[in-house]
Amino acid sequence: MAQAPKKWQCQVCGFIYDEAEGLPDEGIEPGTAWADIPDDWVCPDCGSSKDDFAMAEID
Amino acid sequence: MSQMIPQDIANTIVNPDAYAAEKPVDEAFKFLRKEMPLARAEPEGFAPFWAITKHADILEVEKQNELFHNGDLATTLVTIDVDQKVRQMMGGSPHMVRSLVQMDNPDHMAYRRLTQAWFLPQNLKKLEGRIKDIAKVFVDRMADMGGTCDFAKDVALYFPLHVIMETLGVPEADEPKMLKLTQELFGSNDPDLNRTGVKPTFEEGLAAMQATIGDFITYFNALTEDRRANPREDLSSVIANGQINGQPLDHFAAMSYYIIAATAGHDTTSNTTSSGLWALAERPDDFKRLKADPSLIPAFIDETIRWATPVKHFMRSATADTEVRGQKIAKGDWMMLCYPSGNRDEEVFDNPFEFQIDRKPNKQLAFGYGAHVCIGQHLAKLEMRLFWEEILRRVDHVELAGTPQNSLSNFVCGPKNVPIRYKMQ
Repeated sequence: MAQAPKKWQCQVCGFIYDEAEGLPDEGIEPGTAWADIPDDWVCPDCGSSKDDFAMAEID
Repeated sequence: MSQMIPQDIANTIVNPDAYAAEKPVDEAFKFLRKEMPLARAEPEGFAPFWAITKHADILEVEKQNELFHNGDLATTLVTIDVDQKVRQMMGGSPHMVRSLVQMDNPDHMAYRRLTQAWFLPQNLKKLEGRIKDIAKVFVDRMADMGGTCDFAKDVALYFPLHVIMETLGVPEADEPKMLKLTQELFGSNDPDLNRTGVKPTFEEGLAAMQATIGDFITYFNALTEDRRANPREDLSSVIANGQINGQPLDHFAAMSYYIIAATAGHDTTSNTTSSGLWALAERPDDFKRLKADPSLIPAFIDETIRWATPVKHFMRSATADTEVRGQKIAKGDWMMLCYPSGNRDEEVFDNPFEFQIDRKPNKQLAFGYGAHVCIGQHLAKLEMRLFWEEILRRVDHVELAGTPQNSLSNFVCGPKNVPIRYKMQ
């Protein structure tokens, strides 16, 4: 059974990445899992990287 | 060889009068973006610095927090004389306060984490009802003023002040004192706002600044004592009882934390709201559009933030030799992030000198970028959304009743007077 889409939050600025919505403006299709976002992607609001900042899973 | 900015332009981009007048800095930055977007400035009395005027370069510098530090040199523009004097007063440090703004890692992240969760949207949701009630009270007061007022001085100043003071747990009776001290801090060059009421010499300005900070410290010392003995559900209790590596906060850092929350937490939002109303008073069709379609409010708010850009600059310094836009930046070089310029960058914004309430995309950078991105941005946007929803619901129309005036500052600057005539629904 597929996992329900999750939301991930930048711990620096609060930006929320919603797996269900993706980021179409950045070429990330709706439904893209957090793990599948490229490692060099940065938070669009503050530039924090996936590696450098903890993204917390929130409901 | 690095480009040198013409002297008149360099003097303009540090001049508080120029920021108050707006057009001189707009023209100066237009010139720089076109002719020398990253070049050396040496205004009279200042140590040289790189002026970063392009949107892309501001983001590039701001996201590299190990390469470009906040705290090694002064974090805001100061003259050579002021810098020397501050260092004498502060045991060699260039900083009169030590808040998140003046910190680098490891301290910056450790101190920011203390209150970060408080300012995230999911926590702010709990405050929404209360902020909505406060917005209603302030629009009620506007209604009671009988159809004319100075929107900046009589209304916009007080709403964000009250919100942040309630968040901090400062009693309402102390708000006038907090407002006065904030104006003294950010309006130190402006005789209408500063401590002495006259244009200061640099020694007078410093002495006044020290006295203002001293007053803040006296106040927050007492608050800290109280919140350690009697913690409450407020931001002051978080700061008072916060620990870094198992120890209470360094006293100076704790006081600085209160000061930045108590000042940056409202002055910028007031400036932006006043700027927004000034813009709408000159654009009645946009006012009508917003009233008819409140779904436009979020985009409108983003545009007021871009338009106002209340924080005009922060400084950085390079921790290693590097290169930005083909310019060789040496270790130790001082750099000015010119936010109003970034928010008028022709390569990012179509018709940047037009106020467009439905501007999309709107990649405004007034909150900064990188690890130091404004911690209060979600609170600011929430306050503004609730305030504008209330104003637009209840004010039928508004027009200017005189000439608005901006405060005299090259740091935090915005409208101090917006005289209006208006009709309530």
